Amino acid sequence: MASVKLTNVKKVYDKNVVAVHDFNLEIKDKEFVVFVGPSGCGKSTTLRMIAGLEEISEGTVEIDGEVVNDLQPKDRGIAMVFQNYALYPHMSVYDNIAFSLRLKKVPEDVIYDKVTKAAETLGITEYLMRKPRALSGGQRQRVAIGRAMVRDSKVFLMDEPLSNLDAKLRNQMRAEIILLRQKLDTTFIYVTHDQTEAMTLADRIVIMKDGFIMQVGSPDEVFDMPDNLFVAEFIGAPKMNIVKTGLVCENGKYYVTPFGAKIAVDGDKGEMLAERGVKGGEVLLGVRPEHIDLAKAGEDAIPCTLVVDEMMGSELHLHVDTEDGTRMIVRVPTIDISKEERKALVAGAKLYITFGGKAMHLFDPETEKNLLA
Amino acid sequence: MSNNKHHMGMKTLNRLSNSAIYTLLVIISVVWLIPFVFIVLQSFRVESTYQVGYVVPHQWGFQNYINLWNSDFKRWYLNTFIIALAAAVLQTIIVLCMSYTLSRFRFKLRGPLMRFMLILGMFPGMLTMIILYRVLSDLGLTQANAVPGLILVSVASSGMGYYVSKGFFDTIPKSLDEAARVDGATRLQVLYKIILPLAKPIVIYTILTAFMGPWGDYVFARYVAFGTSAGYNVAVGMYSWLTNDQINNMYTTFCAGGVIVALPVTILFLCLQKYYVEGVTGGAVKG
Repeated sequence: MASVKLTNVKKVYDKNVVAVHDFNLEIKDKEFVVFVGPSGCGKSTTLRMIAGLEEISEGTVEIDGEVVNDLQPKDRGIAMVFQNYALYPHMSVYDNIAFSLRLKKVPEDVIYDKVTKAAETLGITEYLMRKPRALSGGQRQRVAIGRAMVRDSKVFLMDEPLSNLDAKLRNQMRAEIILLRQKLDTTFIYVTHDQTEAMTLADRIVIMKDGFIMQVGSPDEVFDMPDNLFVAEFIGAPKMNIVKTGLVCENGKYYVTPFGAKIAVDGDKGEMLAERGVKGGEVLLGVRPEHIDLAKAGEDAIPCTLVVDEMMGSELHLHVDTEDGTRMIVRVPTIDISKEERKALVAGAKLYITFGGKAMHLFDPETEKNLLA
Repeated sequence: MSNNKHHMGMKTLNRLSNSAIYTLLVIISVVWLIPFVFIVLQSFRVESTYQVGYVVPHQWGFQNYINLWNSDFKRWYLNTFIIALAAAVLQTIIVLCMSYTLSRFRFKLRGPLMRFMLILGMFPGMLTMIILYRVLSDLGLTQANAVPGLILVSVASSGMGYYVSKGFFDTIPKSLDEAARVDGATRLQVLYKIILPLAKPIVIYTILTAFMGPWGDYVFARYVAFGTSAGYNVAVGMYSWLTNDQINNMYTTFCAGGVIVALPVTILFLCLQKYYVEGVTGGAVKG
């Protein structure tokens, strides 16, 4: 159990390729932090620098108040779970889990207790004598977690631990990691490219792009108030619809004018725009698919044509084209649609969509920053 | 029914091609084995000691082996064994460390070093013979002291034989190293607790090739021993029996020596051939 602090951490490969720029973050004791971003954003590199598997080019990493830049991985008090499990193929599951304890010359009876306890927690007791190749993907990942558990480390590092599993197993293991976290009660740093994992697991999410931190915040914060366009599009599935549109101010009230419609910006957000002295002009308007509703023709409705309808079970994903050909996605709960309405929702159907002022996100078209953040 | 017929046809075809292959293999192995059988038979011939026009001895006995025991052969055999054993142990350690380093560490001169060794390896070792003799002679490691000299020669350049084992190590995922290092292993522990057990075929291949080199060495051994019987290995020693004035007395003893020399290597190969084949082909396909 420990805090982790990264100060101006930078990673430079071959003198000119910068993988991580000036990374600053303080992770509190027992916090679950997720680094998320597309591939090549530097999230794994950052994790590996904390682990000591990658040299830190500049800046400092502190674990529990101690600068660990020059410490070997084994002396940093960390445990790590790898994407490809990294189990030792020539050792049984028991020996895999016991490996670190044997290196520390822990007595065999203590090792036995710890390994069996970890195996019970993870439900792999019956496989202890098997070799890793005789296990399924999910079982292997459990062994990898068991190997990290018995180390009683201060920080638990996980590098895309679920990426090699199929979708169903991934959901199951995700829930198990939440349970594990409750049991272990230690600091977790978790790397993933999957925003769902980030949202469901994290206390705080660190969203990265091209080696820069784009935003740090709780799942609620990054979802409701993304700092910039990148975060807005990255978090949430299907991703947020982004439309270039006008923002006008009439009698102290703000309106957006997408595709000829005129939709009022809701009270709170309008007030914030006024406070900031926003004059109006061109903006990037972001609306999440689930915040768009089917509507009747009117001033605040946008006419469009249905292109694809995806039946997801509890909801319907409608891909629609507006009159100027902009593609938008609309998420409609199936329970809100009558049978007749559903029948009419076929490719080529003409519909109207609208959204409330509360659901809007407004970004500066140049800086791509959130105008309201 | 027709399906079954088709099946039968495949079976017959398979059988035919298999018999053809086996016949060929049997012929090849007979051709290969004839010289060995010939030498073994000659080594038990006691009615005469010179070359004769027949293969099967008229009188069988162990006299040739007894002669071996009473000659310098014991000394040569021991010399060869010491050199081969030392080379096997030291070369294996050096080659495996070298391969691990080149496979896992990234340092500035890694690329140039590998290229340099590749080019250096293209020159025949014989080119260095004169200067090596000079160096060994200055160190006092020639003639009667040829054994340490030859060990030095075979071990000194052994790091250059890293290709096969490096290739094999490259196929072992690096995350295993990383996991072990996080688990508390030092680099050396990673090598002998994780990498080597996974690279068993390569380790055995390395030991075998390291042992075989000095075991059959003639040119260097002869050059370094330079006429002093105490420094000979078996190949050089036994060759000295094949001079015009000796051959008629020593021919069958020579054959007995050949059998004794072949024995340990044959046994070693029979025990380890499974790993040897895996080792030679191991670098190519992920193990």
